[in-house]
Amino acid sequence: MSGLFDLVVSVARVAVMLAFTLSLVPIFVWAERKGAAYIQDRRGPNRARILGLTLGGLFHPLADALKLLFKEDFIPDGAHRLFYQMAPMFALAPALMTFAVIPFGPPVEIAGRVVALQVADLNVGILYIFAISGMSVYGVILAGWASNSKYPLLGGLRASAQMISYEVALGLSIIGLVMVFRSVRLSEIVASQGTLLWGIVPKWGVFVQPLGFLLFLVAVFAEANRTPFDLPEGESEIVAGFHTEYGSFKFSIFFMAEYIHMVVGAALIATLFFGGWQVPYLADSGFLLPGGLALGLPGALVFFLRIGAFVGKVFFFAWLFIWVRWTIPRFRYDQVMRLGWKVLLPLSLANIFVTGLVLLLIDGGA
Amino acid sequence: MVIGVKKVARPRKMSGGESLYLLEILKGLGVTMGHLLRNIRHQENIATMEYPEVRRVMPPRFRGLHRLMKRPDGTPRCVACFCCSTACPAVCITIVAGESPDPSIEKYPVRFDIDMLRCVFCGHCVEACPCDAIRMDTGWFTPAEHTREKLIYTIDMLLEK
Amino acid sequence: MPTFTINGISVDVPERTTVLEAAKTVGIEIPHYCYHPKLSIAGNCRMCLVEVEKFPKLQIACNTFVTDGMVVKSNTEKVRQAVTGVLEFLLINHPIDCPICDQAGECGLQIYYMKYGLHKSRYAFEDKVHKKKVQDIGGQIILDAERCILCSRCIRFLEEVTGTSELEFFQRGDHSEISLFPGRPLDNQYTGNLADICPVGALTSKDFRFKCRVWNLRGAKSICPGCANGCNVEAHFKENILYRLVPRQNDEVNQTWMCDPGRLEYKKANEGRLLTPAVREHGGLKAEAWEAALSAVAFRFWETVEKNGSESVAVIASPAFSNEELYLTRKLADEVLRTPNLGFSPRTSGDGFSDDFLIKPDKNPNTQGAKLLGFSEEKFEDIVRKISDGKVKALLVFGNEIADFSEEKTGELLAGVPFVVQIGTNEGSVFRAAHAILPSASFVERGGTFTNHAGRVQRFWMGFPPRGNARSGIEIITGLANRLGAGWKFAGEASVFRAIAQSEAPFAGMSYESLGEQGQMAGGKG
Repeated sequence: MSGLFDLVVSVARVAVMLAFTLSLVPIFVWAERKGAAYIQDRRGPNRARILGLTLGGLFHPLADALKLLFKEDFIPDGAHRLFYQMAPMFALAPALMTFAVIPFGPPVEIAGRVVALQVADLNVGILYIFAISGMSVYGVILAGWASNSKYPLLGGLRASAQMISYEVALGLSIIGLVMVFRSVRLSEIVASQGTLLWGIVPKWGVFVQPLGFLLFLVAVFAEANRTPFDLPEGESEIVAGFHTEYGSFKFSIFFMAEYIHMVVGAALIATLFFGGWQVPYLADSGFLLPGGLALGLPGALVFFLRIGAFVGKVFFFAWLFIWVRWTIPRFRYDQVMRLGWKVLLPLSLANIFVTGLVLLLIDGGA
Repeated sequence: MVIGVKKVARPRKMSGGESLYLLEILKGLGVTMGHLLRNIRHQENIATMEYPEVRRVMPPRFRGLHRLMKRPDGTPRCVACFCCSTACPAVCITIVAGESPDPSIEKYPVRFDIDMLRCVFCGHCVEACPCDAIRMDTGWFTPAEHTREKLIYTIDMLLEK
Repeated sequence: MPTFTINGISVDVPERTTVLEAAKTVGIEIPHYCYHPKLSIAGNCRMCLVEVEKFPKLQIACNTFVTDGMVVKSNTEKVRQAVTGVLEFLLINHPIDCPICDQAGECGLQIYYMKYGLHKSRYAFEDKVHKKKVQDIGGQIILDAERCILCSRCIRFLEEVTGTSELEFFQRGDHSEISLFPGRPLDNQYTGNLADICPVGALTSKDFRFKCRVWNLRGAKSICPGCANGCNVEAHFKENILYRLVPRQNDEVNQTWMCDPGRLEYKKANEGRLLTPAVREHGGLKAEAWEAALSAVAFRFWETVEKNGSESVAVIASPAFSNEELYLTRKLADEVLRTPNLGFSPRTSGDGFSDDFLIKPDKNPNTQGAKLLGFSEEKFEDIVRKISDGKVKALLVFGNEIADFSEEKTGELLAGVPFVVQIGTNEGSVFRAAHAILPSASFVERGGTFTNHAGRVQRFWMGFPPRGNARSGIEIITGLANRLGAGWKFAGEASVFRAIAQSEAPFAGMSYESLGEQGQMAGGKG
């Protein structure tokens, strides 16, 4: 009986997670196109319509997907057939897998059993994220190499160099956070962020680790290959980079992977530095404001507020990715390397040192 | 003449705050968000022209697709002098002349084809025409067809425009 | 030899030379309309005014004879003003309908207006005297009286060259115009020349009317293929279509004239052409690649010679082919096929019409060349007899017809031969009976030489490469011979002509250089 219950719960959690991430892709594709248009004083997509409705161009991602689906599935002459076809999957799978450890809501009690709203509550959550996201670059490198073409190869090389440079800063920037929250389990990190700092400020990662947040933010942009770090597909220099030779559905998988990376990045930022599903001052029973004020709320409302808070945070940070893309130009290759090695790496090391020092002074090394 | 040395202004060195980039990035984000919000609220700053419904009004000297002019009685003004096809750098005008039944007209074009696929819209044909028979004042500049043959405009099509 | 100075250049010229002609010898062109080197001097256009020292007034260069020590200036301001004034007078009543005028581009008025005129018309179009346009006056000519500048070249031509005098001046003053006598249209075989000599667009060619603008035409020096006279012509073409033939000056042959039938000879190069090699299979013609067609023909001839001996093959050459091609034809028959059956079509349909000027009764351009190269008419009659007796099993025919045989006669004759090959340019009676067709180039699509009735060897030049898949006769014959094991190395007509000059007595010592543009008499006769 309990085995069946676990199976149903697991399948349901995976289904919800997949539905959530995949349904965000067209929304952010639309947000990207429409947002870019408005930022640049254009109108953006507004033509595709169903039954006379355009919904501000929301059908365009659908039309694009349909178009890509019906295009000729082409493999260039001289490409490594197996790797060429595997590369898009390698790009998409890690992006989806990362999401498995992200808690998107508080644990709930169903039929007398506590169920975590998280596909897998691993005790090595953060390490798992690093392990999986480190793999995602293989899709890009593989695509670049297997295409048997010069520009994809350059794109792949850029991706690998960028991954090596920023993976280090990404890892080191979180060490401080782990030190503060004393856990690498994401559910515990989120739970810890529900408490208050000095009784007034929510103990969010961004407040206890401001420098760590900045470093992590920059490194996540680089990891997701988004502007200003989208060198692997720098259109102005190397056509379309690693996916130059890709078309039809294989291209759409790369496209999806890019947006899922963005969503995962946003979810990570929200989880690690902005309290995940936590709403400031909202306890299980209702709002408990610092001045002693209390506002009782029914348990169901609190639950949905928390889920909503998580979704809202993810949306905001995913939008940040888009917003930054249409604000800042692409870095030059040497600038990317200089920033990674000469700025982010020393700063993240210093952050760990300072964090340790502060913890030592506060807790007396306990 | 003595060759002078021209001093080119070097870019200013960035101040400490600027070289941190953080504030500048935030300022930039503010600018883009400003545009976004303004364009969502009202649309008058949007430069997009929604093309097939809204068309740009072309200035009077704009060179669009050609048309052939008619005499008051509806016959083409063209006398098949070949000046346009001679002036044409793209060799896109094909004329076959014929003997007109009207001896005061004498010569008229039996065929007058313009290959729009070849035309470079230079307007030399219009300048060369001694009879003001060919003009490029239709204002139309985006011919689109499904076959190449349809873009070879015949005399009847050119007289229609 | 009077010594004469023009614009500071001194030159010795013969007695009785006019200033205009003397100036031409040192490369100075004096504008003129009525002067024509082959017509009498009229002196009525007044364009050739020059300043002659010690003459109070300007003199007309065309009718002033050079005397010893004469000093002439044609480039002074006084001369320029006078010429400009004359030109303005000539243009007073001109309708300026250049856009619809076929003369535009080679019009004397346009040329001199750009040089001396460039004035604005002081005479409104409505005030101009209008005359009758588009008059079909017979022959090949359309008359537009309005464009006429009354130079009288046409009147003098019809009086002095053809002696028919159909045109004359009528009316007076402003209203003067050239016209026919009522009910007597142009009636001679040389009307086309009127369009050439008319310096303006008054007399234009009916055949060339509105076909093409002259500035789109390119020219090739050629020889009219219409008869044995071999008039020197310039073939005018655009891309690979011939538009007209105009005479080229050669005082030994045609001066500056040519006949009306000759002017229409170009049509044969445009219409009804054979453009791709073909082999007849099961009654229908099937287009073939050159290699395949040549190999098939060569194989049949080889097979026939092997089976029935070389007596069973025959070659009928054509005097419409060049000396070079005829020489190779003879070589093919003598050295490769080793057949005694080699003759040439001595006549052609339409023969016989002639006059005492340019039109010769023999309508082939190179009969004399064929004779000089050893082809004989008796052999032809002999071959025809052999064909009728069924002794010929494979026949190579040059040209589009066999002698002056009718369509039926040709068909009957060739029906008795199992394998007939045609090397020709046009569809005709031979084409309809042939089993294999090897299309050859027309007269402007290849170079070579023709020998005219008087034995003058004259060159013609290639204007454009053969149309379609046709090839020059030299290429075809060489290809055929080499497939039969000859191993010839002729490349182009020049190398063949060198071989002719070495081995054929009448052509000894000749070369393309020595022929030049005017030709040379065969057998060392001048």
